[in-house]
Amino acid sequence: MDSQLADLQNFLVIGGLLFVIGLVGFVVRRNLIVMFLCVEMMLQGVSISLVAWGRYHNDWGGQMLVIFIITVAACEAGIGLALILSLFKHSGSLDITSWQEIREEGQPAFVDQAIPEETEEDRVWPKLTPAGIEPELDEDDLAHRSKV
Amino acid sequence: MTDFWSFLFIAVLLANGICLSLPPGNALTRLNGAVSCGLAIVLLFYCLPVLRDWDQSHDWVRQAMFWMLAAVTIGSAVGTISMRSPVYCAIWFAMTLLATSGLFLLQGAQFLSVATVILYAGAILVTFLFVLMLAQPQGLAFYDRISWGRRTSIVASVAGALLIFGLLLAFVGTPEDNDRFPETEVTQSSFDAKLGQKADDKEQRGHMEKLGRELFSRHLISVEIAGTLLLVALVGAIAIVIQSQKPKRLADSQEGARGDG
Repeated sequence: MDSQLADLQNFLVIGGLLFVIGLVGFVVRRNLIVMFLCVEMMLQGVSISLVAWGRYHNDWGGQMLVIFIITVAACEAGIGLALILSLFKHSGSLDITSWQEIREEGQPAFVDQAIPEETEEDRVWPKLTPAGIEPELDEDDLAHRSKV
Repeated sequence: MTDFWSFLFIAVLLANGICLSLPPGNALTRLNGAVSCGLAIVLLFYCLPVLRDWDQSHDWVRQAMFWMLAAVTIGSAVGTISMRSPVYCAIWFAMTLLATSGLFLLQGAQFLSVATVILYAGAILVTFLFVLMLAQPQGLAFYDRISWGRRTSIVASVAGALLIFGLLLAFVGTPEDNDRFPETEVTQSSFDAKLGQKADDKEQRGHMEKLGRELFSRHLISVEIAGTLLLVALVGAIAIVIQSQKPKRLADSQEGARGDG
């Protein structure tokens, strides 16, 4: 196989994988910031593909478009984060389900699925390593306080 | 070994890994997911074509660099979508950006690799972290821990697997079977020497000079439009923030008027 073609194939697969992982992340997550990060990851996947095609055809066009992709991503991040901050100010959380009720006046609700409730086995907290040294406690002091 | 069934197996394995590592689930499940993703990445790289001419000494280094950077990219991407705390997601995304920058460097896009690190990882991502600091200081909220539930994770992973498999189908078989990828006359040495070199250009120019000559001659209008877009976005972001603060100021001024009168 031609080595340039092999190169192109390698990079296209990586770009495609990055795009699909970003797509899955956008659909699955509920946090506004993480959804935005997944959109940026999709843009990165497309950038890799563009640079690979530009190299394959010995053309600058791929890299030029990636420069403009970075520019547009910066604008989008600026405005999007301003909007997210406004949404947070109104609803108090970064959850998008707090904005599920937005619709017109007489419109019936269209909800794909109920918001999952948190069960007891979902409450997994991270395990913190104990810090510090436990002080040596006087047993007599614990039983009977000599001074108040 | 680029055949139909190996790609299908890789897609299924990757989807399994992603689905297990997505939010609802405990640490053991996520570890299983990470192992499955790693296995899928290793199998994928075994299936991807290797460079044909091994006699040139720098080629195996390039291939090894590509494998390392690509593994870090895909691993960090899966880490980005599966973390419980959004700050961890942002940090994993920074890792993805660094690996992408390395991939750009491998392709000879030197300006883009540096621009990705400076602009994307250094400015856009820091803005994300600032907003996280203002909006969600505690982390590990319940909507991060359970997200949309197990069913949505499974369905989304299956859809992602189908999409990956469909994209990989373009590479099934050898190139002689299908004529979608015709032979190109660009070789390694001709690319490095002549990227962007015009036919009538006699002197050898550096990368940045050639990129600048291309950007500001053929794409000048796009540069101007991009500058205008940045200005509009800046004004828009400030206007949005001011607009969202208006009712509070109005209420404060009315309260002040009532207090005086």
